[in-house]
Amino acid sequence: MILAAPAVILLLVFAYGPMAGLVVAFQDFNVADGVFASPWAGLENFRFFFTSGDATRIMRNTLLLNVLFLSATLAVGVMLALMLNEIRGKVTKRFFQSVIFVPYFVSPIVVSIFLQAFLAGPGGRGGLINDAAGLFGIPSVTWYTEPGPWPWILTLVKVWQLGGYMSVIFLAAITAIPEEVYEAGEIDGASRAQMAWRITTPLLKPTAAILLVLGVGRIFYGDFATIYAIVGDNGTLFPTTDVIDTYVFRALRTRGDFGVTAAIGLVQSVVGFVLVVIATMVQRRYAKETSIL
Amino acid sequence: MTATVERTAPVTRVRPPSRRKSRRLEPFTIASYAGVICFGLVCAIPFWMVVAGSLTAESALSQRGYSFWPTPFSLDAYTTLFQGTRVWLSYGATIFITGIGTAIAVAATSGIAWVIARGLPRVSRPLAVFAYIPMLFNGGLVPMYILITQVLQLQNSWFAVILPLVIAPFLVFVQVSFFRATPQEILDAARIDGAGELRIFFQVVLPLSKPVIAVIALFYAVTFWNEWFHALLFLSQPEKFPLQLVLQNLISSVTNAAELGTTSAAPVYQMRLAMTVITIGPILLAYPFAQRYFVKGLTLGATKG
Repeated sequence: MILAAPAVILLLVFAYGPMAGLVVAFQDFNVADGVFASPWAGLENFRFFFTSGDATRIMRNTLLLNVLFLSATLAVGVMLALMLNEIRGKVTKRFFQSVIFVPYFVSPIVVSIFLQAFLAGPGGRGGLINDAAGLFGIPSVTWYTEPGPWPWILTLVKVWQLGGYMSVIFLAAITAIPEEVYEAGEIDGASRAQMAWRITTPLLKPTAAILLVLGVGRIFYGDFATIYAIVGDNGTLFPTTDVIDTYVFRALRTRGDFGVTAAIGLVQSVVGFVLVVIATMVQRRYAKETSIL
Repeated sequence: MTATVERTAPVTRVRPPSRRKSRRLEPFTIASYAGVICFGLVCAIPFWMVVAGSLTAESALSQRGYSFWPTPFSLDAYTTLFQGTRVWLSYGATIFITGIGTAIAVAATSGIAWVIARGLPRVSRPLAVFAYIPMLFNGGLVPMYILITQVLQLQNSWFAVILPLVIAPFLVFVQVSFFRATPQEILDAARIDGAGELRIFFQVVLPLSKPVIAVIALFYAVTFWNEWFHALLFLSQPEKFPLQLVLQNLISSVTNAAELGTTSAAPVYQMRLAMTVITIGPILLAYPFAQRYFVKGLTLGATKG
């Protein structure tokens, strides 16, 4: 069918093209010779990356941050959905849902500006958090030079961005739960809290499983947009925030090292692919009817 | 922001008496209200801080920091921004990228989704796998960079920002699940009337699918409006920068702000906030009307997938 042709061509060029372009990972790439004529380098690029000392740091950061992001957003999403479900009145419920969903539509750059308002005010001032802490006599912190708390700050940012989004998905799953289940619970004298915890939460497992599988597949991909927009080239924060994607971006921009950066990208894709296959298989075993394809 | 959402809610609607209404308030319900209201405030406050800040005079901003109410009130940042040409240019760039991008994306996505949904032997299933693989596996930054700059020579073209994003596999499958629900009888009727496959798609299927097309168009539009990474990589001429990239330059260096205005003593911090408001403004204004489509799209994608 010709209707699919534009999409097939676009996918071939912009999704499958770059996959083929990964041969660069095995080349000593230079712009003059291009993809087809650059000399081969074997596994040299991979060896360079894994012996550089950066590899463990950025892989650890990527995994740690993504595990934090994924568990926090899923947990908050389920909690928000359970709480939204308690809200009576359609209009009120939809109003609150709209408000908590809105951060999802804000670009990472804007999120970064919001964050600056809280952590570092204009003209070298401390920002809202420090101003508030000052009222209680707590000394102010120069957040943008302290790498320690940043994994948690970024996790809070992700929860702010995605909490509402996740809750919309979970709330849709809650609406699909048949009313009789709750009537049975009511007859047994269950409180609202018990019903939420004993009935609704277990029934949300399949939805959570899908989101988890998708998340696990992306666990080796750092959240470039959010992290780069917030941290940028602020080197003091790299020890805890530098992930594979920001590292690759910097390596490409400052060193122009195509081969090594492509090699990192390939490692990333392969590990991500293996993880998602494993996760899908595990999930299929437990919830056959909810698998994705 | 909150005010606009409130206004769209039909407050006067009469609800049937709810069964639960008679129940007494339980602690969990009260805690839920508190929790949702807190999270809602956390979501809304940053927006208000930035709007208020953008209307506060630069001097007060740098002396007292952000405040909940703009005193002294000042429109300096907005007048400076709109007198310069850069804001208009970047708005034009963003509108071009969003408009053209969404149009291409919707056309391509609908086409492939329909063919997958038709369930044609030996075509649909491989095509679904073909569209699914990029969701799991991608070439990454370097090959994309080489492709755009070396092979296609698209540097400094807005199409370098648009084309890598025109097919989102997730939205393809949202649309497939909608198309699958198209009643077979209607298609058969059209076929008996002698309509060809193409004519069926354009004159029967697409008009029936307006709701799902609205959903995916909105998702794509937000993606394009917020896109800055490909712009950062491939655009180097400042007059081609979309809004997000201009804004990013404002964060990375305060001196960039001065270039946006016409006067030398530009209110730098105030302008950064004003630029933020200008960037998110259209999304926030459209959001109350579009919100239910987003919820619908997510629900379709999550439950059928």
